[in-house]
Amino acid sequence: MAIRKGLGIGSMYYGIGYGFSRADIGSAEIEMAEDGTTTVYSGACDMGQGVMTVVTQVAAEELGIEPEQIRVVAADTGSTPDAGPTSGSRATFVQGVAVQNAARELREEILDMASRMLECPRENLDVHRGEVCEVGTDRPMVSVGKVAHQLHFHGRRAAAWGWHDNTTQDVDPETSQGDAYATYGWATQLAEVEVDTETGRVRLTKLVSATDAGKAINPVAVEGQIEGGAAMGLGYGLYEQHILENGVPRTASLAFYLVPTAMDVPDIECEIVEVPDPRGPFGAKGVAEPATIPTTPAILNAIYDAIGIRITETPITPERVFFAIQEAKSRGEFSDD
Amino acid sequence: MSEDASRETAQPYHWIGRNVTKPDALEKALGATEYVGDMVVPGMLHAKILWAGTPHAVIRNIDTREAARAPGVAAVLTAADVPGTNRYGLAVLDQRALADDKVRSAGDALALVAAEDEEAAEEAVAKIKVDLEPLRPILTYKDALDPDGPPIHEGGNVFQHTTVRKGDLEQGIAESDVIVEDSYHTHRMDHVPMEPEAGLAYVDPSGVLNILVGTQYPYRDRRQIAPALDLPMNKVRVVQAPIGGGFGRKDDITAEIHVGLLALKTRRPVRLVYTREESLIANTKRHPMAMSFRTGARADGRLTFLDGDIYGDTGAGISLGAYVIKKAGIHATGPYDVPNIRVDTYTLYTNNLVSGAMRGFGVMQAAVAHESQMDQLAHKLGMSPLEFRIKNCLKPGLASSTGQLMNEGCGIEATLQRIKDYMNARDLRFKRSQAAS
Repeated sequence: MAIRKGLGIGSMYYGIGYGFSRADIGSAEIEMAEDGTTTVYSGACDMGQGVMTVVTQVAAEELGIEPEQIRVVAADTGSTPDAGPTSGSRATFVQGVAVQNAARELREEILDMASRMLECPRENLDVHRGEVCEVGTDRPMVSVGKVAHQLHFHGRRAAAWGWHDNTTQDVDPETSQGDAYATYGWATQLAEVEVDTETGRVRLTKLVSATDAGKAINPVAVEGQIEGGAAMGLGYGLYEQHILENGVPRTASLAFYLVPTAMDVPDIECEIVEVPDPRGPFGAKGVAEPATIPTTPAILNAIYDAIGIRITETPITPERVFFAIQEAKSRGEFSDD
Repeated sequence: MSEDASRETAQPYHWIGRNVTKPDALEKALGATEYVGDMVVPGMLHAKILWAGTPHAVIRNIDTREAARAPGVAAVLTAADVPGTNRYGLAVLDQRALADDKVRSAGDALALVAAEDEEAAEEAVAKIKVDLEPLRPILTYKDALDPDGPPIHEGGNVFQHTTVRKGDLEQGIAESDVIVEDSYHTHRMDHVPMEPEAGLAYVDPSGVLNILVGTQYPYRDRRQIAPALDLPMNKVRVVQAPIGGGFGRKDDITAEIHVGLLALKTRRPVRLVYTREESLIANTKRHPMAMSFRTGARADGRLTFLDGDIYGDTGAGISLGAYVIKKAGIHATGPYDVPNIRVDTYTLYTNNLVSGAMRGFGVMQAAVAHESQMDQLAHKLGMSPLEFRIKNCLKPGLASSTGQLMNEGCGIEATLQRIKDYMNARDLRFKRSQAAS
């Protein structure tokens, strides 16, 4: 075994949202029942990454109620409005604002009714943890549930609609100049690799992922995205190749198409960077793709740091590294010691 | 987590920035969530697909008679049985729910079976007789760029050519003290979501076609399903079922039109669940790309120009490929201030599997090239790769490759600085360059 270690950096930026003049919208309805429990009808698909949780937290923050009081109904053309696709790292950034807009409007209805009930000026009232309070105090005056009951009892609106349009114009057809995206995600990763110079096998032994979330609405969910992204980036760099021969798949089974397992994924250090973006909800932006893109470049650069040989073709299989080392040896550019 | 705690106390929010538990965490952890593959509806039929398995051919005949007579079979359908346009596609309608005139990729569906159980459906699929006349397949970038090659679709095999032009390339080259030139090749990748493609369709008593499916966008599904099946859009309801990952591939139509068609024809609920092998054969993949980049810098470490070409293999359908490859082009500089740019991208049809959206969306490939170029330049200049990036990265007041002025929310320097701090705190150093600091 001849193991050489190396460190490498990969950075990226990624236009968040749809771009190219394509509709890039979010929308949601929010409805409060007579007991103050609230339902958000959110068109955004949760892929498992947690956009339903983000929607819950944004609505809870804006309404001043507990997340436990909120249920999200998601992604059904029969019951939720169109919120665009969950792709392009856009769901938090775009749908988050739509939910914020809906919740703010409902909050106004609540405070308006509370103001009548309490005979207290609207501007003196605020909502905290499900209780209407005087601004600047935590002293509960009336529960949101009781206010909601009055809204329903008097036939007042206890629901609201929120919309957000993040559509950006396409770039110039000749020069590609223009404001291509509303905002960009940013990330840098540091990879540590071990290269076995006898077999060409590369192992990722450590990964540090500094990913700008703008504002991490749910830090554990952001860490989930960062770790998942790194695992997918690692699979792209080292293992996963769909081979076609004359257009016919030769790797159409997980026996031949290799995905990383728990044995392959190293310790991943999540460094959540927060540079607030005023265009996102509470400064937040998407991290799904930014957390994935830098891994393979960081591995490529770490391999160069380890053995002084640049690999320019992916995936970085043992064969590819082995033969690159043999070629470098034949040119006198690599020695075993 | 100690950092998290300090952040939580410092901020003015109640719920933003807190680790609120996902509402579906418990059911997922307990294995109680019902995915489409777990759903059973009374009277439900099971669907199977006959895949082309060959990249390019004229379809002479598909004989379904024996399959239709097999035990337990409720329907065997080909393109001739589709009531609507039979077409779908996210950018252009160049994909067919069931192949009609030609096979364009090995992942094309030729026929559909619905039967009482999966085994009966599989046996019936094996009884379908297909008569194909092979055509020369377009398989490489070179094949696709050849104007005399057989066109896969009308209009030739170069679907899109985009151009990024900024500053004065010749001046950038002239100002350069070091220039690095290299070619990079990236490969085809599958998304491998834990849950393969799956859908369940039924027609309800009011005549609405309901489709439960692991999707990333039900409204866009509806927009494609209705014309393909000749239904008014308000008679199609698409519900996102609990999903086991998508990573871009479930942006596209997957099982929707197939289960919808079978449910309409049989008037019974129909469920389709791909095997892993089918999932690897069908639907979209990550674009392979070939990238040639030439990048320059001055002796003081400032980038001067990027001159590059990107070729992307989108397979037999555009899906979102034209946007993927265009996005690769406008991200080809990476997150750096590059004053002079020429980048051309080419979106090429081939008879390979369709490539579409996948986490990273073109920037995954571009970053392989731009980050390798950055390191090569840093090494030539004798600079730390980290310091070289910090020096050149976009900052408020600077403009991206598309001339977009950076303002708030420009976080690249902060991520580089975080890595620099991490390395310094642990005394980590690159072997082949100066220290991180």
